[in-house]
Amino acid sequence: MNLSGILKRLVLTGLVFFGAATLNFFLPRLSGGDPIAERLAQLGDSGGTMSAEALSAMIASYNERFGLDLPIWEQYLNYLWDMMRLDFGYSIAYFPTRVWTLIGQALPWTIGLMVTTTLIAFLAGSFLGAFAVWRRNAVTGTLMPLMMVFAAVPFYLVGLLLIFFLGYQLRWFPTGGGFSPLVLPSWDLDFAFNVLYHASLPAASIVLSSIGIWALAMRGMMVTVAGQDYMTFARARGLSDRRMFFSYGIRNAMLPQVTTLGLALGQVVTGAILVEIVFSYPGLGNLLLQAVRGADHFTVYGIVMILVLTICFVTLVLDLVYPLLDPRVRLGAP
Amino acid sequence: MAPLLEVRHLSVSFATDTHRINAVRDVSFDIAPGEKLGFVGESGSGKTTTALALMGLVPNPGRVTNGVARMGDLDLLGLSQEDLKAERLRTVSYIPQGAMNSLNPVQRVRDSVLDGMEDHGEQMGRGERRAAVRELMEKAGLPHDAGARYPHELSGGMKQRACIAVAIALKPKLLIADEPTSALDVITQRRVMQTLDRVQRELGSGLVLIGHDMGLMAQFVDRLVVMRQGRIVEAGSTKRVFRSPRAAYTRELIASVPAMPVRRPVEPVRAGEDPGHVEDDDALLSLENASKTYRRGFFGKDVAALKPVSLRFSRSSPRIIAMVGQSGSGKSACGNLMLGFQKPTTGRITFGGRDVAAMKRREKSDFRRQVQAIFQDPYASFNPFYTIDHAFTVPLRRFGIAANRAEAYDIMADALQRVGLDPGATFGSHAHQLSGGQRQRIMVARAVALRPKLIVADEPVSMVDASLRATILENIRQLRDEFGISVFYITHDLATAYRSSDGVIVLRRGRVVEAGLPDEVIRDPKHPYTVQLVESIPSTDPDQAWARVREPRAPGGADADAFNQSVIRSRIPGFSLWPGTVA
Repeated sequence: MNLSGILKRLVLTGLVFFGAATLNFFLPRLSGGDPIAERLAQLGDSGGTMSAEALSAMIASYNERFGLDLPIWEQYLNYLWDMMRLDFGYSIAYFPTRVWTLIGQALPWTIGLMVTTTLIAFLAGSFLGAFAVWRRNAVTGTLMPLMMVFAAVPFYLVGLLLIFFLGYQLRWFPTGGGFSPLVLPSWDLDFAFNVLYHASLPAASIVLSSIGIWALAMRGMMVTVAGQDYMTFARARGLSDRRMFFSYGIRNAMLPQVTTLGLALGQVVTGAILVEIVFSYPGLGNLLLQAVRGADHFTVYGIVMILVLTICFVTLVLDLVYPLLDPRVRLGAP
Repeated sequence: MAPLLEVRHLSVSFATDTHRINAVRDVSFDIAPGEKLGFVGESGSGKTTTALALMGLVPNPGRVTNGVARMGDLDLLGLSQEDLKAERLRTVSYIPQGAMNSLNPVQRVRDSVLDGMEDHGEQMGRGERRAAVRELMEKAGLPHDAGARYPHELSGGMKQRACIAVAIALKPKLLIADEPTSALDVITQRRVMQTLDRVQRELGSGLVLIGHDMGLMAQFVDRLVVMRQGRIVEAGSTKRVFRSPRAAYTRELIASVPAMPVRRPVEPVRAGEDPGHVEDDDALLSLENASKTYRRGFFGKDVAALKPVSLRFSRSSPRIIAMVGQSGSGKSACGNLMLGFQKPTTGRITFGGRDVAAMKRREKSDFRRQVQAIFQDPYASFNPFYTIDHAFTVPLRRFGIAANRAEAYDIMADALQRVGLDPGATFGSHAHQLSGGQRQRIMVARAVALRPKLIVADEPVSMVDASLRATILENIRQLRDEFGISVFYITHDLATAYRSSDGVIVLRRGRVVEAGLPDEVIRDPKHPYTVQLVESIPSTDPDQAWARVREPRAPGGADADAFNQSVIRSRIPGFSLWPGTVA
């Protein structure tokens, strides 16, 4: 690994960020929703009557407040400057709450649920896939077709099934929410258990539906690795089963899995949207859904930029870490 | 003296649902301590399976159906898998063909040495481990820092040495070496075999060498076992077997080795042809001061793979030109330049007077048809997803040689017959259903079907048995005469270069050191490096000693000058060469 290789990666990451920010600015504007009108229509619904004159004065003052009266290129430049400082401004729908505050409330839920479940599915799936190749018997023989079924079922469907049977019919688990409505969030053990209890169904549906993909991919790699010359030589040296399985088999078969893991971690926030909606989980996905519905441009900008940032960050980390895992890969090599 | 290993009536068979293959049939032999025993035979003769059976490593669905293998009090064939595992490395150790990837790519060589020792119950502290690794590296002839390197950081010869170091860690009583040097060039082969010889003497262990190189066997082993179709057809002392072979098959094997002194006379240049320089308007493919430099790493040094060389193939007089040299000498870099796969760092490559690098799409397509490639690896050259037909029909149709499917099949059938394959049996099969030799012949047929003017063949016969090699090369030779195809034959095998080429170019570290007619360059080499190469070829005459490698002398003095000179012998008729224009 060398310095210029890392620098190159950083510059590339910056460019990706800029490109994504630009797309992010223009795309929502194509949808045609007027955020201020939406906001005022909401207010109008909540009661009271208003003259047309007062309404347009209000729209004008809101537009000025959010800088929406400026020419588009000036808005764009302001926006880029804000993005560079990671200042997402105020939410239109929840004015005067800052977008960062909304994201700050939702992000821990999403990361806590998605990152944990992705890692669990990765570890368990990879191990099962490798083990199915290593010990071919009746149990592992039935494991793989089962994994294929899991891989084929989308996770919101698994989620709905779990809600219906475990949540609604058996009433073992709550059917939605991040914690019980009657409990106040606090840093104690009771609340932690409450959160875990509520997270169990969404977590189970994510793990169940993604474990199969990990297992199948790992199985394929492990079959390839098992046929390599170094495995033959390892067996001819009488190495212990444990060492051959972990240090020779899994250690080599997992290399492409790690690449996939990096990409999957980059997707955790978007991947969560449907699950969060199905389980009304108070995470980023739910927030994004509401923001899009309400044409709350600034919140959408903020969330999308967070997604872009996570993907950039995870890819960068992966690029930097990969040469440590596979000595044949060198950073900055032509 | 009591034998170290006594094998009696060993039989191994592979049973599938439909049929049963008896891979090893009633094989019996002894090995004395300190003795070297060779197993020779073509692929599929059962020599490797015999060795694997001794370690309990016969792959599924193979089973040892009969026999004993007594080693002291042990019967290797009667042990349970767990007991057998304990005996591996400690009692019987295996040296694989390590030049490819026999070592775990993500772990340092040191750890590959130590993990075997640890798994066999050696308790070692930090200092002992370091000492053990250093001692083994030294024994295997590796630099002492080699333990800290990863396998991909080692050259082919060093990887093979690393495999030896790993295999001898527990001082085994019996070493089994399976084609340990078949992927190495002759000079490296001789050095590695000398190391193996020394290691075995120091351990006092028995050694089983499996291979198909009769020359190597003649030079290395004390006794020889010749196998065919699972049976021993002949066994005896090496000298006896080579001097007076009893079995017809043994005679066939010995005769298949391209013997150096026997050669058909240089074919006369056709009448009316200028036997010298290739004129500009007759130029087919020219390298003009072409060189190739690779950059290692981002800030790394530039490595010159090929130093400037100029050569020219003639359009009117096709020639087979062999380029020989050790691995890493720049042969393949030269071939890649000719094929237009890489751009030269300096100079240019022209085809029919046009710069290859500047060709437009259509010209390039024509160039691709006229200059065909045959690659070294017959396994990786085919897309496993398609049948063999696909490899033919796509280029035939794409280059407009065949107007329709039926015509394409006619051309294919003709090309396959030319390389001695049955078209009916070959059509519709996938690459994995064919043997290595069949695949290499298909590669030749495919290249020829396109009626090119030049074929760049990079080690086209490296993976087939000696007898088949001669056949394929003979095919290529016929193509030259019949269709006027020139061939650039890249190889590290001097014997086949000698036998089948019109001219030989010797490359060392990217520089042409000697060139001329095969009779001159290989039978009477003048450059010290060529001498070294030729001396390294193991002779099938067990009395003719395989001399120690003369190491390249230290730089400075007259010897260094001799090494840095290019010796151009007489001109190769119909071919031009001007090496080393720039120092």
